[in-house]
Amino acid sequence: MGVAVASTFVIAVGATTLRYTAVVKEMSVLFSGQIIVVSKDAIVIQAVPIGGGMLQQAKLEREIAEIQGIDEKIPILLLTSIETEGILQPIPVNFSLGIPVDKWRLILGPTPLRENIGRFPRNESSKEAVIGASLADQYNWTVGKEIIINEQRLTVTGILDSKLALLNRCIIMSLTQTQALSNYQGSVNIVAIKPLEGYADEVLAKNIEQNITYVKALTEDERNDIIQPVLSQVETWNLGIHTVILMLSLILVMTVTTMNVSERRRDFATLDAIGAPLSFVFRAVLLETLLIGVIGGAIGIILGSIAALVLASLYTNISLVQFFPSIFQVAPPTYLLGIFFSIAAVCCLGGIIPAINATRMRIAETLRAEY
Amino acid sequence: MKIRAVNLTRVFHIGLSRIAAVNDVNLEVNEEKFIAVIGPSGSGKSTLLNLLGLNDYPTSGKMLIDSKDTALLSKKERRKIRLFRIGFVFQTFNLLSTLSALENVELPMSLAGKPLEDQREKAVKLLENVGLAHRLDHRPKELSVGEMQRVAIARSLINNPELIIADEPTGELDSKRANEIVDLLFDLKKRHKTTIIVATHDQEIVEPADEIYKIMDGKLSHR
Repeated sequence: MGVAVASTFVIAVGATTLRYTAVVKEMSVLFSGQIIVVSKDAIVIQAVPIGGGMLQQAKLEREIAEIQGIDEKIPILLLTSIETEGILQPIPVNFSLGIPVDKWRLILGPTPLRENIGRFPRNESSKEAVIGASLADQYNWTVGKEIIINEQRLTVTGILDSKLALLNRCIIMSLTQTQALSNYQGSVNIVAIKPLEGYADEVLAKNIEQNITYVKALTEDERNDIIQPVLSQVETWNLGIHTVILMLSLILVMTVTTMNVSERRRDFATLDAIGAPLSFVFRAVLLETLLIGVIGGAIGIILGSIAALVLASLYTNISLVQFFPSIFQVAPPTYLLGIFFSIAAVCCLGGIIPAINATRMRIAETLRAEY
Repeated sequence: MKIRAVNLTRVFHIGLSRIAAVNDVNLEVNEEKFIAVIGPSGSGKSTLLNLLGLNDYPTSGKMLIDSKDTALLSKKERRKIRLFRIGFVFQTFNLLSTLSALENVELPMSLAGKPLEDQREKAVKLLENVGLAHRLDHRPKELSVGEMQRVAIARSLINNPELIIADEPTGELDSKRANEIVDLLFDLKKRHKTTIIVATHDQEIVEPADEIYKIMDGKLSHR
């Protein structure tokens, strides 16, 4: 039971952390190979600027246009936690991307629409949106449906079927529409810049920062350098929690098996008396602890996956029933298998000392003590 | 199997006391003999049997099996002798509680690496011989004391040992069952030329024994 509880905790914490670090890592794909220009005061998590205020789109575009070496510049308004269906979620469980309609592909790449039905918004003023698959499933939004976002009515023109968790929670509209909807007319918070071929992005980023003093320009490498220590720290903490819990499991299994061997010392002494090889007794004890690990690990995998699912459900406000088909996205099978084998190995390890003790029974003394 | 004990002594230290449970015992047991060791409770019977059955080490003296000093045997060799050449019937049966009667009897043969079919066939036969054909799948706690004793006897016989050591084998049985066990042991001795050493209070066993020894305060004497 203790092993099952420990593995449940490991999986719940580990899978949740793993999921969110994976989502953060995925974000870099969105602006891969591009420089992003954001307000100087913004904190950037991969591609998402937190705080720092808005930038005047026209002014910034004008200033960027004067800098050499730029192939494309894409002004973007990225908003977190917009109000969907009258509910403003307290934590960022959805994103809204406002992108100029002629620049979708530069940001989203070849991301298809679900079942190839629908299209991206036609023009800057059209009240239309493409919705991420996860959001669409959560709110039962389909192509053609009218939805309310920040008290405005929009028509869903497509469901985005992306492998990126971030895009699956995204509402993508034209830039103008997003600005109008969020009362940020004429403002953006990101300008993605694609360097001309032959121009080094580090040099171009430095050039931008020198010419436009109120922004910072971050290359992909710089963005990774910012987030990497944070991710490493999270992963270290996660590893630490795993290690502590696995150590506790080890101690638990060792204690329980020692007690178990002690309670059954008469059985082990009997086995010795009838000539059982030491390896037989040793293997028998190890097999028992392995069984504890396998059963406890299996229960832990089931309960831990459910716990991770519940946490994800609480975090995103998606109902458990809707989340259930994505259980292996929340708790990846390779991760679950890794934990399962770690738990089994730890249990085997915990059985070694009691197994050695079981082979060291002094037959006559043990049996006499049991009379 | 020929057994010889020379000045065999086993001392226990309990607190500050020194108790010689077996004290300077000399004994020779030849093949195909039926030996009875009698003595009151605490006289040293079980300790002597444990020494003879290689379940314990003497404090001093020698234990020889087929003229070979058992002190020179490795733990592995002692274990092999216990598995293949000696069958031990414990006073408290010592059946494994998680195994059925059949599995308990099969166990030594399984440890000896014999094929599963042979184990099963022989174990069933032995349990039939001790009148437990109807109890094959019962676990020890589902058996009466007498039935447990008979399972323990069947277990001691499964590897055709040359020596059977039985510690009070009829101590927990009613007279009818005790007689059956005595008959069984004598039958074994006759049919399989097995050497048998029994510690007992039971006159049924004592009287037909080839030799009777009395043990008192660890000292063994011929009767």
